[in-house]
Amino acid sequence: MSKTLRRIVLGAAFIALALPLTCRAAASAKTLRVTFQAAETGFDPVKVADYYSGSVIEAIFDPLLTYDYLARPAKLVPNVAEALPVISDEGRTYTVRLRKGIRFADDPVFKGVARELIAQDYAYSIRRFLDPANRSPYAFLFEGKIAGLDELASAAKKTGKFDYDAPIAGLETPDRYTLRIRLKQTDLNFSHVLAFTLAGAVAREAIEAYGEDTGAHPVGTGAYRLKQYTRSSKIVLEANPAYRGTVWNFAPGADPRDQAIVGRMQGKRLPLIDRVEISIMEETQSRWLAFQKGQTDLEYQLWEVAPRFMTADGGLKPEFLNRGIKLDRTVDPEIIYTYFNMQERIGDQPNPVAGFSKEKIALRRAIAMAYNVNDQVRVIRKGQAIRAHYPIPPGVAGHDPRYRSSIPYDPQAASALLEKFGYRKGPDGYRSLPDGKPLVIRYSSQPTERDRQFDELMKRSLDSIGIRLEIHKDRFPELMKLENQCRLMMRTSAWIADYPDGDNFMQLMYGPNKGQSNNACYESAEFDRRYEKSRLLADGPERNRLYKEMTRIMEVDSVWIMGDSRYRNVLLQPYVVGYKKHPVLHTEWLYIDLEPAK
Amino acid sequence: MLAYVIRRLWQFIPTLLGVVLLVFVLFNWVGGDPAYLLAGKISNPEHIENIRRQLGVDEPYYVQLGIFLKQIATGDFGASWATNEKISHIFASRLGPSLTVLVPMLVIGTLLAMIAALAVAFWRGSVTDRAIMIACTVGQSISILVYIIVLQYVLGYQLGWFPVQGWGQDLRENLFYYAALPVLVGVIVSLAPDIRLYRSFFLDEINQDYVRTARAKGMSDTRVMTVHVLRNAAIPIVTNVMIQLPALLAGAFLIERFFSIPGIGREVILAVERSDFPLIKAVTVYVAIATMIINLAADLLYKAVDPRVQLK
Repeated sequence: MSKTLRRIVLGAAFIALALPLTCRAAASAKTLRVTFQAAETGFDPVKVADYYSGSVIEAIFDPLLTYDYLARPAKLVPNVAEALPVISDEGRTYTVRLRKGIRFADDPVFKGVARELIAQDYAYSIRRFLDPANRSPYAFLFEGKIAGLDELASAAKKTGKFDYDAPIAGLETPDRYTLRIRLKQTDLNFSHVLAFTLAGAVAREAIEAYGEDTGAHPVGTGAYRLKQYTRSSKIVLEANPAYRGTVWNFAPGADPRDQAIVGRMQGKRLPLIDRVEISIMEETQSRWLAFQKGQTDLEYQLWEVAPRFMTADGGLKPEFLNRGIKLDRTVDPEIIYTYFNMQERIGDQPNPVAGFSKEKIALRRAIAMAYNVNDQVRVIRKGQAIRAHYPIPPGVAGHDPRYRSSIPYDPQAASALLEKFGYRKGPDGYRSLPDGKPLVIRYSSQPTERDRQFDELMKRSLDSIGIRLEIHKDRFPELMKLENQCRLMMRTSAWIADYPDGDNFMQLMYGPNKGQSNNACYESAEFDRRYEKSRLLADGPERNRLYKEMTRIMEVDSVWIMGDSRYRNVLLQPYVVGYKKHPVLHTEWLYIDLEPAK
Repeated sequence: MLAYVIRRLWQFIPTLLGVVLLVFVLFNWVGGDPAYLLAGKISNPEHIENIRRQLGVDEPYYVQLGIFLKQIATGDFGASWATNEKISHIFASRLGPSLTVLVPMLVIGTLLAMIAALAVAFWRGSVTDRAIMIACTVGQSISILVYIIVLQYVLGYQLGWFPVQGWGQDLRENLFYYAALPVLVGVIVSLAPDIRLYRSFFLDEINQDYVRTARAKGMSDTRVMTVHVLRNAAIPIVTNVMIQLPALLAGAFLIERFFSIPGIGREVILAVERSDFPLIKAVTVYVAIATMIINLAADLLYKAVDPRVQLK
């Protein structure tokens, strides 16, 4: 064979190998393709804290309760329970009855025998949160709440083994399908915990069989099961053949889009999507191009490029509308705020922003008045956020849409306030404390591009009233550590709802939560008294009145600078139907459909 | 030769100990406390302490260092703190995709750079030489990030010649379909510095007496360049290629992130973000060992390429 001929043959072979790959068939029908912008960590419900793992867990496991798909604000509905829990004993006992005949997905651990979901599975799953060996990030949901459970955890810390078989008063299963939970104190909102994504039931035999690798072998009763798993890269779910099969049955709410969704989806048997393919794509450009090429079906993680597809008034640009692309726009149930450390000393140094004297409150209020939240929304968020006035964001029970912060943006008035309380400007243009000592505010943030923008805005804002700002940069774990020790003077923080109840947000300022979630280390007897009272109440006018009073107290003390809540702009391909972003559910895969034309 | 190899192997031990100490000190000094990352949104001191105890970071430093050394000796670095996945499994499953991209990138890049460098060295001083050198200087000044973003957008999205991202289950599909654009990007990025470097190697040889002698003997330019010059310039080129080999273990994280390739580079970045010390330890130690072994192999290869080289 001559050299030329050999080259031709080799070239033809190469093309023959490569060609079929360029002519790939479109994905099969009813396959939903989505992305995660960060890698998952695993699918054992008690061992994860990240949103993306939670999304897959939500598809595979069933909590006792869930949320109505269309109702806003979010409304609890039974999931595998026959009905909502019977709450007795002044909100201290929750009794839930399970529906019969619900099966776990088939798995080798069941040795070919259908495994029914029973009440004991929930009792076991709840216990797992407190097992020290699991070091569950969401242990706080059950910690200090269920009678006898903390004692079991304490004993496990001493013996090194959690006793899953020890009877406790707080978790009882009087029969195969009844779960009775006894709380240590009244909590009329505990149902939200039972609807929490990570509170789904696991089968004890599966957990014990897979040992340390439970994160890669999720076995649940949900609509989907794990089909293929390439860690940090690709997750494929397929419809669970053992799924009990639910019917799409939701009443339309006030949202005008609801009627169309109901008309299209009502009565359909779920799940409608056979397969969900999740690709991990960390880079915005990759997700954006993949969506535009039709390689993904819905995409929301596009904050940085939002101006490319959105108009100034929050709509889609005509070129996308013409292609049939749809936009679902909601505000995330989150709050971004900047806190002041309220502890008198940080380490062995006095804290200039702490205290309840008039001049200290004036200093914090002046900083809050000088901080340009509108610039935060316009420049840093590129318009993809709304200004927050209330600590409880929209979509969460207790939110007050009419509430307006009493602290305006007014640098001139802020300067006058500082002058009045003795914060005089020196020859360098920066102010000193009333006693003449230097005034330096230390603002902490991470070494990221986004935080650099916050640093610059804070610096500009404080310069406008002559206050010297020092930026402290550190890595996230170190900031967490210092924050828990009340050793950061100021930091911008975020909180997204674990469950759609105002308590999840108001607890951020409750005194005893100092060193945990109360990162301002704020201790106010007036606030705490009202908070404790609110915990004994269900969502309603009386609790809302308390929340409003607490917010005013916080404002008077000027503990937080209210920031914003970001929009979630979900782009949908034309063939995705029935989609409406839920404020609490991680995903809507169970409730949507893909048109046959796809 | 054997004595030389044994002597070099002995030298591995203090070098490795230095690397171990450096990574250990760096992690404990600037790495951040992983317990606060793993603790979740709401944690109390008791919870943090429980996590620290389970990870073993509450032990005295000398105990932790001892465990690190034992892990190196046994090759068992345990499991990831963030995902509980075995470190050995992370390497076993992520190295393949990384190599699928990096090996063709290295081979094609080196061959193209050698050919181009040989050509411009031959036509040194000409307009072509100057134009290519200017292009290389400009190309070298541009960040790899720009190459990735522009080429992914133009070749992948606008022209549709390649997939914009993705990875499959089949080696052939990955090699010829998904890896094509990442390899192209990597080759383009490496060409500019490599052509400049290899050109200088060739020019060093072209000015040698033996080249003049070969020409005086009537040898053709092609034979002089491809046989004499190329062979003698091979030693520094081999060195340059060998230096790049250990980096294969660490992957090319930017390319892997943008093109959604499930390689080891992405894992390393994730490990740093998550303060996942077991994986950071393993990668550092493996890269150090690979560097030492490859350096030794390169020295042995010099001897094979050039018999004048003496191993001492």
